[in-house]
Amino acid sequence: MLLEVEALNVRYGRNHAVRDVSLSVAEGEIVTVLGANGAGKSSLLKAIQGTVSSSSKVARFSGNDLLSLSSHKRVSSGLVLVPEGRQIFVSMTVHENLLMGAYCRRDTEVAADIEGVYGRFPNLAQRRDLPASVLSGGEQQMLAISRALLARPTLMMLDEPSLGLSPILVNQLFDLITSLNREGLSILLVEQNTHKALQTAARGYVLELGRVVVEGTPEQLRSGEQLEAAYLGAG
Amino acid sequence: MLLVQQLISGLMIGGIYVMVAVAFTLTIGMLNFLNFTIPALFMLAGMVAWGLTTVGIHWAIALLGGVATATIASLIVERFTYRYMRVRYGDATEHALPLVSSLGFLIVFEHLVLIVLGSEIQRFPNPFSSADFYIGGLIIGIPQLASLVLALLIVWGLSTMLKRSRVGRALRSIAENPDASTLMGVNVNFIVPVVFIITGLMAGIAGMLFTLNYAAVNAYMGDEVAAKAIAGMVIGGLGNIWGAIAGGLIVGVTEVLAIHFFGADIVKIPIWGLLLVLLIIRPSGLFGHTAIGKGKF
Repeated sequence: MLLEVEALNVRYGRNHAVRDVSLSVAEGEIVTVLGANGAGKSSLLKAIQGTVSSSSKVARFSGNDLLSLSSHKRVSSGLVLVPEGRQIFVSMTVHENLLMGAYCRRDTEVAADIEGVYGRFPNLAQRRDLPASVLSGGEQQMLAISRALLARPTLMMLDEPSLGLSPILVNQLFDLITSLNREGLSILLVEQNTHKALQTAARGYVLELGRVVVEGTPEQLRSGEQLEAAYLGAG
Repeated sequence: MLLVQQLISGLMIGGIYVMVAVAFTLTIGMLNFLNFTIPALFMLAGMVAWGLTTVGIHWAIALLGGVATATIASLIVERFTYRYMRVRYGDATEHALPLVSSLGFLIVFEHLVLIVLGSEIQRFPNPFSSADFYIGGLIIGIPQLASLVLALLIVWGLSTMLKRSRVGRALRSIAENPDASTLMGVNVNFIVPVVFIITGLMAGIAGMLFTLNYAAVNAYMGDEVAAKAIAGMVIGGLGNIWGAIAGGLIVGVTEVLAIHFFGADIVKIPIWGLLLVLLIIRPSGLFGHTAIGKGKF
């Protein structure tokens, strides 16, 4: 297993946001985490990335104990998070955003990798020296994903990447996720767009009030009643 | 002619205000925190340098010692205001705590200096006492000219560093969005002390230049300079380096012109009057939300 967590808990004061969640991602796999607003999906990703504190029985990523790595070291070990709302640096140029993505790297191939990104996304290449604030929502999401790619990750976590995108752009986004996965990137995807997420992922987990209520293949998740119940907030 | 002479003097003293204003604006822009220790750092550079000359150390080495003391003091402040608050209470930038504790450090540093070195105005040996030159009847003091040039060079270097270097980009990313910056692998606990080192160096070098220019130091020398630098920073636009440069120079020129026309007693009224009028017309300061101001650094 590339990523393995067991009995992970996140507490914000009295709010117990993530409760005893166990989850794994195998190498080359796309795994999705579904659930309603406030189910604890973002907190789960942030805990794995180390930007919120958590406790767990096991937390391993590509052979390393996550607890021994501070958040910025998890990035250089190959674990990146594309946060909810993209969080690109709007006061910087497109190019500077990409350079920030490669911040954790010291090798000489950064420039070549950035050219690779420009080859994949000509829109970004055209706007390379403009402030990132001029990009459209779709372009900002491409930039956020490209920026994360420049850390040369082995596992990319995406927090609601389709939020606020038009249906055409959502399709493009999921095509991109699939092709990145074919190139060898493992993906942990948090989504509200259940339909697209289950089309893309090999396995999924459904969170409700911080707990995993059901897990399995897309077929298992679609046929069960828990998925619907989790969104309707039953219980 | 006399007026031109005054303008030149104003720009030269303005160079010192520029450095202090940039020190202030940097902590505000990066950490959202008005660092009240800056006047103490400025004063420490001068007073420690003077203290070192009294035990027979060469003035140049003494000045470097003063700047080093200011930088170390700045790191102490980081450790016990900003970092301590952050560890203890989460994101300290949202609280007034670092501001208040930096004010505490200002008072502690000033009183430590009072106890050890006394409260009198002390003469610092003036190595360039007669180093002036004349252009068509205008007197230009070499130390003053050197400090203006040095101040502008340092600020230019700093702004280039922020624009082009890896650390500079990391600093700007923290200024904009510290959470996203962590996601890029930036170690915020390593980068924040860099801001304090720069602050200490800027305030310390400004204190050194002030000491060389006026050849006199005392335990409160930082307070007035810092007040004028804050005025300059606000005039230029908070958190904007170019604004701090323009504001610092404007305050320097306003000061000498006010002394020239109205006398030394009311010099503060034009400076703060200018600030108040400007705040009414343009609350964001000269470069607050303009094209230059947008990029912040």
